[in-house]
Amino acid sequence: MRRLVRLLSKWPSEKALRAACVLGLVAIAIMVAGVLDGTSLPVVASMSVSQAFGVLAGFLYAVTVAAEAGKK
Amino acid sequence: MGSAATPFGALALATAAIAAALLVHHLVARPPLTLATRLRLLLGLAVFPFLCAVATTGSGMQRTTEREFCGSCHVMGAHLKDVEDPTSTSLASRHARNPMFGGHACYTCHADYGMLGYPMTKLTGMGHVWYYYGGGYRDWPLEKFLAEVRIAKPFPNANCRQCHSGTLTSFRDAKEHRAMAQELEQNRVSCASAGCHGVAHPFNKRPEEL
Repeated sequence: MRRLVRLLSKWPSEKALRAACVLGLVAIAIMVAGVLDGTSLPVVASMSVSQAFGVLAGFLYAVTVAAEAGKK
Repeated sequence: MGSAATPFGALALATAAIAAALLVHHLVARPPLTLATRLRLLLGLAVFPFLCAVATTGSGMQRTTEREFCGSCHVMGAHLKDVEDPTSTSLASRHARNPMFGGHACYTCHADYGMLGYPMTKLTGMGHVWYYYGGGYRDWPLEKFLAEVRIAKPFPNANCRQCHSGTLTSFRDAKEHRAMAQELEQNRVSCASAGCHGVAHPFNKRPEEL
């Protein structure tokens, strides 16, 4: 537990949020490609790969919010 | 092409645009991490992307049942061409001209019957995409594919009987149906065979397969 608190206290919030934004944009781009293109690979990617990117972006955001709350 | 004109597709594009605007704003403006920033990012990284993912999945699931989707891989080009040909007399083409389900004809006929039919058909479809992009079919010329690749397992008569339930007297009274009731039930004789209603996609069959 202490290790986790120490890790979160050193969490690079600004960088993590920028990375989350980039990952989120990549996820959105893949989803939009699936909707607009409609061929097999974009459609399947929009229902799988994009959601993995989105979950990772959301995870980075959640950790950052937790780290910021811990710092206060 | 695509599913942008469907309700799910439109919702996916709208939520994607809002989320992208919020994320680009954060990357460009680099605001301090105040409560307002966190709330904006909550919308841009969680709420709107989640809605977009739900809508994309909805439109994707719908899209994967459409004839054009199946025909978007070049190895299905001959099948798509045949079912779109108004002069074709193949079993598949005659079914694809049905206005009730013609646009979804591939899925309607090939989706397995039963409770697990839908997910199992989707999983099989994922396998087809994998074989196409990872298994090398993408690089195969159409002629080679048509000559060498056949349906993975015999086409189940239960799929035909989703619509042709066999309860009408016109079906029950047909002497061929009566004579082969057991064979049809046990899938030992296919409805879509040469002696019965004809193979569904005859253009790629060798003479001995007809």
